[in-house]
Amino acid sequence: MRIRKYDVDYGRRALMQNLAIGAGAGVLTPLSKVFAAQGEIRKSYPDELLSIDAYTKGKVKTGDTINASNVELVKELLDPCIYMQVKSEGRKFRIKKTQTDWSTMFPAEFYEATLRSTKSPGKFDADGNVVTQDGKSWVGGLPFPDPKTGDEVQANLCLSWGRADYNQYAVNDVVLNPDGSVGYDYEFVWSELQTQARMDGKIFQNKADLLRYQTVLFTSTQDVAGSSFLSIWYYDQRKFPGLYGYLPQFKRVRQFPTNQRFEPLIPGVTWFLTDPWAAGDPMRTWGEYKIVERKPMLGAYNVTADIDQPNWMAKVHGGPKGTTFFDTDFEFVPEVIVLESKPTAYPRAPVGRRLAYIDARNSIYNGNTRYDRQDKPWVNFETAFGQYKKGDKVVYGPDGKNPAWSWTYCMSYDMQTKRMSRVRHLEQCGAGYKSVFSADNEEMYNKWCTQQAIQRLGSV
Amino acid sequence: MKTPSTIAASDMEPMRFRMARWVMANRGLVLIIFALATIAFAVGIPRVEIRTIFKDLLPADDPFVQVYYDHPNFGNPLTVSVMIKRKQGDIYNADTLQKVWQMTRDIDLTPGIDHDQLISIATEKLRFAESTPYGIDMRPLMDDSVPSTPDEVSDFRRRVEQSPNARVFYVARDETATLINATFLDSVEYGEAFEFVQDLVAKAADDQHEIYVAGQPTLTGWVYKLQKQTYEIFALTLGLLVVLLVLYMRNIAGVVMPVVCAAMAAIWGVGFIGWLDRPIEPLLTIVPLLLVARTLSHCIQYTERYYEVLEHLKDKRKAAEVSMGVMLAPSVLGIMADVFGIVFIALAPITAMYNHALFCGAWALWLIPNGVFLASILLSYLPVPTNADRISGGAAKETGIHRAQKILLSRIALLTYGKYARFTAVVVVVIGAVATYESFHIKIGNPTEGSNLLWHDSEFNTAVRAINSHFPGMNTLEIVLEAKTRDKNVRVARTPEVAEVASRIQAMVESDLTLAPQATLSFTDYMMEGNRLFSGGNPRWLPLDPTVAAVRAAGTAVVFGSNPVNFGHVSDFEFQSSTISLWFKDNKQETVDAALASARRAVEAVGEDHPQFRVRMATGFIALQQAMNNVVHRYHWFILAMVNIAIGIISAIAYRSFVAALLLLIPVNLSNFLLVAAMKWMGIGLDINAVIVAVMGVGVGIDYGIYLLSRICEEFTAQGQDWERAITEALTTTGKAIMFTASIMLIGILPWYFMSDLKFMADMGLLLVAIMLINMVLSLVVLPLLVWFVKPSFASREDLALSENIDLSKYMTPPVVAAVLASEK
Repeated sequence: MRIRKYDVDYGRRALMQNLAIGAGAGVLTPLSKVFAAQGEIRKSYPDELLSIDAYTKGKVKTGDTINASNVELVKELLDPCIYMQVKSEGRKFRIKKTQTDWSTMFPAEFYEATLRSTKSPGKFDADGNVVTQDGKSWVGGLPFPDPKTGDEVQANLCLSWGRADYNQYAVNDVVLNPDGSVGYDYEFVWSELQTQARMDGKIFQNKADLLRYQTVLFTSTQDVAGSSFLSIWYYDQRKFPGLYGYLPQFKRVRQFPTNQRFEPLIPGVTWFLTDPWAAGDPMRTWGEYKIVERKPMLGAYNVTADIDQPNWMAKVHGGPKGTTFFDTDFEFVPEVIVLESKPTAYPRAPVGRRLAYIDARNSIYNGNTRYDRQDKPWVNFETAFGQYKKGDKVVYGPDGKNPAWSWTYCMSYDMQTKRMSRVRHLEQCGAGYKSVFSADNEEMYNKWCTQQAIQRLGSV
Repeated sequence: MKTPSTIAASDMEPMRFRMARWVMANRGLVLIIFALATIAFAVGIPRVEIRTIFKDLLPADDPFVQVYYDHPNFGNPLTVSVMIKRKQGDIYNADTLQKVWQMTRDIDLTPGIDHDQLISIATEKLRFAESTPYGIDMRPLMDDSVPSTPDEVSDFRRRVEQSPNARVFYVARDETATLINATFLDSVEYGEAFEFVQDLVAKAADDQHEIYVAGQPTLTGWVYKLQKQTYEIFALTLGLLVVLLVLYMRNIAGVVMPVVCAAMAAIWGVGFIGWLDRPIEPLLTIVPLLLVARTLSHCIQYTERYYEVLEHLKDKRKAAEVSMGVMLAPSVLGIMADVFGIVFIALAPITAMYNHALFCGAWALWLIPNGVFLASILLSYLPVPTNADRISGGAAKETGIHRAQKILLSRIALLTYGKYARFTAVVVVVIGAVATYESFHIKIGNPTEGSNLLWHDSEFNTAVRAINSHFPGMNTLEIVLEAKTRDKNVRVARTPEVAEVASRIQAMVESDLTLAPQATLSFTDYMMEGNRLFSGGNPRWLPLDPTVAAVRAAGTAVVFGSNPVNFGHVSDFEFQSSTISLWFKDNKQETVDAALASARRAVEAVGEDHPQFRVRMATGFIALQQAMNNVVHRYHWFILAMVNIAIGIISAIAYRSFVAALLLLIPVNLSNFLLVAAMKWMGIGLDINAVIVAVMGVGVGIDYGIYLLSRICEEFTAQGQDWERAITEALTTTGKAIMFTASIMLIGILPWYFMSDLKFMADMGLLLVAIMLINMVLSLVVLPLLVWFVKPSFASREDLALSENIDLSKYMTPPVVAAVLASEK
């Protein structure tokens, strides 16, 4: 039998072949070469991997809405949890055009840094940490623009979560009970300051042993308002971060056990510290990273933030009360890397493995499913990333010229208890805190990133 | 029965005989109708769901049960407790701690487990607190590896001592045992999870360690497992019934007809409940078996009468027709008595009982078409038995067991009339009076430490006792502080008012002079501990400031960094409603009474209604046990009275005499009093099993009475209105069938007592056997005795619906008439 090179299933077969031989992304031309040349993504993938219309031979078209009645047509392209949500829980999504413009897939500074990285990518030192070719701490952007191993894929996710030197997110997290009623409804500020792997290539305050500071300050509901957590991350990914909590009433900082990554930070939510960014734990506390698949998928990739809506809040649908899922568009992605990893440094972890679904074009994940030790799907942490530009409305990023790029929502769905944490990146949350993409890092450090700071913030 | 010499011709043939004639004339058509109906019912059989739904076993209208339904999480209904006990020494050694670690990890692999609710000293969820230069550091009792060196083990012991929660609830007071609590999701498959955990336990036990498993899911697992045994016993007893039938009848008609009728009624009964989409409760399997036995007994009564008629008519088709006409009324009345004895159980507000009453009541009802019409048609087709005269051919012809029975019954008959009657009456009155008096003093409730469904020495109840003796245990009483509204900004369980009420109730019950609980726990305890730790660790910081801010902060301190389900035993997921758990040493009735009284006093003192919440009594093992006792208390006499009234009315109508109704009801109620008195003397409390048995006992007992009284009436006319001869004749014919009927039911039910590992079923079997034996004796002695003293006038009436008088000459061919007349000369 002769297989035609460009038959309709060619792309998928080529991806499988690439996986088998350990090649990087891309089918027609290596994606990294196209990226480095800032060329057209079309040079890397055949039409059938860039258009849902072509891939499904016209059965599904761009602009179609997928719901329970037609989800079978795209079942093989969906993360199993999302398939179940559409099939049984009333979720639906619209398919948008596949994005081919590189510049919309990164924050502008991170894009530039990654372009630089193509000339001199990172490497792992003897301890498994990412360093530059001359053995120094990583300087920003994706360290592995053309990841070929599981470790490289994970390193791209973990060094700079928000892909900027400083990010501040106003967040709403609604916890929906299995019957669709609201169990918890938090608002908080998430502040994230990189000390290394920065876009400016510098080490913040010469803190060479650290990677980032990260603070969460709750502003609502009343019972938790003023409470905050400060997490100090080491550059060495074998070390657990320090975790400190402050409760205003006690005027005392409490040190939390930091190796307990499998408990929710705040009561009610379905996500653990381990879940966000598909890299919530230090990279080397997990292991056995393995690319198990490269394949086209449908997912909430390159999702534009709803900045035209009040407080950037999206509409909702589905579930028992029609409020479980955010309205969103999905995109047909030519190549998604399915990355498996295991919690090797956690002898008591209730988790068996994790599967992350990562867009090969920009190394960002959309789905992150944790399985229990019986290998039953447990919690799916779905996160959408995209530009903050909609129509003529633009929210600018750190340079003040280009649109901001960040996460827009998370939906953490516990498939075993049917509980949902629906998390939204807001313009502003309680106590007037706003999302910030551009800030004076020194000022933010003093305001958010010390034990004194969280005590001060607690006096809300 | 009238022979040609005593024919009293009647021009107007009763309806039942016309019906019998029509059925036999169209027996082919009727058989087709039966076949079609059977197919229709059989289609419903695959829809039948046989499973135990535990909440359906509770009385739905009981206030305690309603609290349980509203707050099912309180009292740990989905938690399996595994106790690992070191046989010699304490748990603080590397070997035992390794076993706890491994068992904890292995249990997390159980299907249906909630990974967030697995707690042991080897999990990160049990923590101890230390002050460090960086603040209060709360760390897991056990680090990421099992303590293995003496120093590590010693340090681990110190950590446990610094963790009040672990010290009280997870390490035994004598330090020889530790507990692993694993909570399951609502969707758990109990049987699967049970098998998995049992397998782990079997592998983990060794010469140094004993492992005990308890908790509601484990109990459910045991019940599911033992259901297989139930089916085996069911099959065995069915086989025994058939063997007994074969030995007794020794002919094809006498065996095939009862078996076919019983099978048909079973198909109708099971198919019917399948069509209704209601589950069958396997714990009550003994009742369907009783129905099979009842079918056989009705058929035996029927067959014996058929043999008698056949002896005269020599024509099986006509004999079948006559038997139908004669037996229609007493059969229908007898079966209706059974039906009433079952359906009135549905008055108890217990869903499982209601479903079962519907299932078995309908099944019993199906005995009417099958046990009357189908029985006759089958007899008319089946070969004529060659041994009919040896079974019911009269004293001269009967042999073996049949003759022995007849002799015994003749002697019993002597006790019921003539010179012995007064003596027998005195004995009956004395026994009856004593039994009645005693029965009114029986205790309600039949407590077992653990579950009353299983035997005292069962693995489960042994585990419950072991855990109760090392830990606060399984006997909790939960006082619920129920939030009136759900406001995300007001977590009612974390308000000063709830904290104050919980603390006051706990303080009051803990200082109760009558009975103090072994331990108490509420979310307030956790908040106080959180307050202490965040304030620096000094115990003087345990009390909470009675301000919104202070209590809210203490609540937040506790729950930050953990999952609300970790507190599911004391609070709901949203910290709105919460509970105060009180642990008591056992569940003996005096403990239950004292615990409830103590809790009531405390609740009265704090008041039930508060602005944001109400205090509700109560749920937990203790409260639910009391709920079952309450239902017995409330419904025992009511259901019995209703059955008496219903049966009394139909008996009065059938015999056209209230005296007849009284004559029938006195022996069966006396049986009931005797049973209850016997239970009291044996130290057995009155529980729901006994109520079911008592009610069914009335139905079964009245059935005996109806057959016997009808026969006495018939023989009274046939024997020239001689009471003594009428009683003797009735006892030696119908009484014989009653005796066999009782025997066959004894054989059918007694094995349950000896073979079932389900105490519930065994108890019910024993009680049923007891009441049926008592019923049999009283029917054979007390009913004739009453008839002898009362000498009811209705006995001489010929227009009774139940009269079995029949002019057989109408059905005889002339040569047969001639032969009969010749033999009488």
